Amino acid sequence: MKARILEIIAFFAILIAGCAQETVTIDIMHDEGKAVMALDYRDFDQAASEMIQSMLGSGAMKKTSGGRYVVTTGRIINDTMQRIDTNQLMAKIEEELLNSGQVVMTSAVGNARKQGAVDKMIYDVRDIRDSGVGDEFDEETLPAKRQLIAPELSISGKIFQRNIRYDKNRQQVEYYFQLKITDLTTGLRFWQKETIIGKRGSNKSVAW
Amino acid sequence: MKTITNILLFAAAFALTSCYEQQNQIHLRTEVRSDDLGNNIVTRPVAFAFSALIGEGIEITEAVTKRNDAAFLELHVSGYNRSYKTKRFRYRVEWLDESGLLIQSKTSVWLPASAMGKSPFSLKAVAPRPKAVSFRMDTRKWE
Repeated sequence: MKARILEIIAFFAILIAGCAQETVTIDIMHDEGKAVMALDYRDFDQAASEMIQSMLGSGAMKKTSGGRYVVTTGRIINDTMQRIDTNQLMAKIEEELLNSGQVVMTSAVGNARKQGAVDKMIYDVRDIRDSGVGDEFDEETLPAKRQLIAPELSISGKIFQRNIRYDKNRQQVEYYFQLKITDLTTGLRFWQKETIIGKRGSNKSVAW
Repeated sequence: MKTITNILLFAAAFALTSCYEQQNQIHLRTEVRSDDLGNNIVTRPVAFAFSALIGEGIEITEAVTKRNDAAFLELHVSGYNRSYKTKRFRYRVEWLDESGLLIQSKTSVWLPASAMGKSPFSLKAVAPRPKAVSFRMDTRKWE
């Protein structure tokens, strides 16, 4: 009898294991997975791609006097119901702007709230220079004063979300990606773009 | 025999009218513009069914590249949706350098596009590096 019970338990254990969802690695390049109500990497890829193409196509990043603009990333507000690291968007944009050869990004100035925008080591090295520990270093290897280059352009923006009841069973979620580039000397805005990603799905889906 | 002739005549008339494309800058869509002999409440369902049967879809009519003022290559694609239904698809543009090698970029991702039935559409892509000299574009069904 005991053996019989064990057999039944083993049978159901195998059955349950067979039904378990297999974990698979997403094919990031050609993902044919279903859309989700929340923002996923494909939405950030799309928004970043459209933003970069618009920036480069507009000619706003081309310095008419020659050379390259020094650009910093300002404040990017996440006003969605999701916990988003805005670096998901900005890292792609910064990378492509740098690779375009038209601008150079600065790590000396940036949004204090955005982790990684400012390289703290720039200031740590200067603290060493100005402290007693600085005597331990070869003076020529320490940065002199007034070497940092101030940014000329700033990228700032906002990501926000609107939830709308579509019908009895469905909801519509609209995500707005808005970015702008401002000349820090004159305060003039050189470029601006909005990308909208809309999703419609079950009321049961949670978009945060 | 008479019935067969009538069907053939109807099919010929339908084929001729369906081949007609508005070349004007102003596009008046079906159900906005006045109905005509080949496109009315009676013939429309037949035309829809026929279009679906022969699998009409997107057609690319022109792909032009030009270098913009900032020295980036721009691709302008024009096409026409032959189907009566709105076609939603995704496209990806990859950029190639002088040696024909792929330029890795975050901009080369699948982007959404759609074209309304029996309508022209346009797409624009900008190369991420000035060294891009050519491109390749791929499309896939919108999942």
